[in-house]
Amino acid sequence: MVRYFFRRIYSSFVTNVFDVPSKLLALLLFMLLLVIPATRPSSYVLLILIIAYIYALFAASWDLLVGRAGQVSLGHALFFGIAAYTSAILSKFYGLPIWATIPLGMLLCALVALLLGFPSLRVKGPYLTLVTLAFPLILHTALFAFDPPVGGEYGIALPPRFFPRKFLLGTEFLAEYYLILFVMFISAIILYKIANSKTGIVLVSILDDESASKACGINVTKYKLLVFVLSALFAGLAGGLYAHSFGAIGSVSPGSVLGLTTSFYPIIMTIFGGIGTIYGPIVGAFSLWTLMEFFQFADELRVLIYISIIIIFILKWPKGVAKFVVEKLDELTEKRELEEREKKK
Amino acid sequence: MPLLEVENLTKSFGGLTAVNNVSFHVDEGDVIGLIGPNGAGKTTLFQLISGFLKSDSGTVRFKGEDITRLAPHKIVNKGIARTFQVVRPFRHLPAIANVLVACASPRASKKLEWLKSPERKALDMLELVGLSEMMLEPAENLAHGDLKRLEMARALATEPDLLLLDEPFSGLNPIETDFLIKSIQRLHLDGYTMVIVEHKLRALMKLVRKVIVLHYGEKIAEGSPKEISQNKKVIEVYMGRVG
Repeated sequence: MVRYFFRRIYSSFVTNVFDVPSKLLALLLFMLLLVIPATRPSSYVLLILIIAYIYALFAASWDLLVGRAGQVSLGHALFFGIAAYTSAILSKFYGLPIWATIPLGMLLCALVALLLGFPSLRVKGPYLTLVTLAFPLILHTALFAFDPPVGGEYGIALPPRFFPRKFLLGTEFLAEYYLILFVMFISAIILYKIANSKTGIVLVSILDDESASKACGINVTKYKLLVFVLSALFAGLAGGLYAHSFGAIGSVSPGSVLGLTTSFYPIIMTIFGGIGTIYGPIVGAFSLWTLMEFFQFADELRVLIYISIIIIFILKWPKGVAKFVVEKLDELTEKRELEEREKKK
Repeated sequence: MPLLEVENLTKSFGGLTAVNNVSFHVDEGDVIGLIGPNGAGKTTLFQLISGFLKSDSGTVRFKGEDITRLAPHKIVNKGIARTFQVVRPFRHLPAIANVLVACASPRASKKLEWLKSPERKALDMLELVGLSEMMLEPAENLAHGDLKRLEMARALATEPDLLLLDEPFSGLNPIETDFLIKSIQRLHLDGYTMVIVEHKLRALMKLVRKVIVLHYGEKIAEGSPKEISQNKKVIEVYMGRVG
């Protein structure tokens, strides 16, 4: 019985992953990330990668909202920030453990998304974009006014503590690396499944033509709220992870989790990797974040180099780098299948 | 009790009254044609019935229930499906996914046969309109005639009791027109109730048993195709005053 079960899992794995080159490639890349620590990199490199994974998750959640459902939000940092602050406050002032603070942060994000979604999803296109842009900026400024509890501009100092230190002598970085990598990978799979489910199809239909969706009997408002909440949940997960990781460098401040850059990172990463794909933003986050650090040696010029590279890539592959690769791979498989069919004839 | 009752429906845009005090009813199993010159208010009337526009006054009753102020998706889930005059496909989705969206509506999910997958149903609908070979083709690659049929499949997938077809023949070549006439006749035999807005009178007159003529938002005539084609007022509207 058990053996039969395993055999079935194995065979479905072979047909679903091994026979699809793009999925096989994704699996290989994931394995590569798994073995990176074996090369004994410095903790600095691990730190860079940890932040890259957190941003990958954050960008993927933005992609579900924008690439799939077409609700362009320029203020996704709101959820990142709310979750980061919630888990930082709960953990610092109430001493709650991490496995409680992050889910609570996510829950609050979902609630905020629900409350803000009702009024703001009534406006469309550029108006929605402007409304979303405003929310994190309001919170950003509001936090300055509350110096004593949340530390105003400097934020909350919080020691990174995913694992109790006494168990992991000097391997905290490694443990955190694997934890965040796995959380990112599993969340990405969930997001991908949502994006390609029946719900995902309905979301694309709303992006394409809202009136036609209504004529199909779809409650457009309900679906928009649903995707807003889902996206906020995963952005919240990213924010919560960030607050407790080494990436926060000991503090959660308005500038680091609610600033304009935090809102814009997922956008650049998603467009670089390929919008509407879920894997695109992950590739984008990983390559752009490591690229940025790679040019550290160029000092002031680094942003210029970085931006030039992004512009060249987007001009060359406007659909996104990852999307381009996957489409090429799919084309090749199709061609191969056609040839095989002709041979059989 | 008639399936659909429209009573004194009025809608004006600014100073222009697009639909003026129009009343009619549709019995179950009927196929009704709605004709009139450009700007007569035919499409506006459809928009009002399907909830995309809110009427100024008057009521729309469906199966005896007042649906005048309901949202469009709720009206679809009550059992009134519509197509658009200008095709509105989901361009990024393959043909079958276009129909799947309609299969995801609450009404279609509830009416889905036991042990039948929504995908299977979507494919059946495509087969019904003769598009099953194109099922994986993105809608943006389909020809205009195919899109018209796709729109029919999408409307049918919501399991409607009443179908509102807004100019189903516009932009179709003669072969496609004949095919669509046959499809609609088959739907009629299957017991679907339909209201068809159309300019191509020749195609329409083959299909319908009753015709309603609108002119400047007002109903000027109602009757069988034969009666309508001999009605002086209608001829005047279409041909201009004789003599």
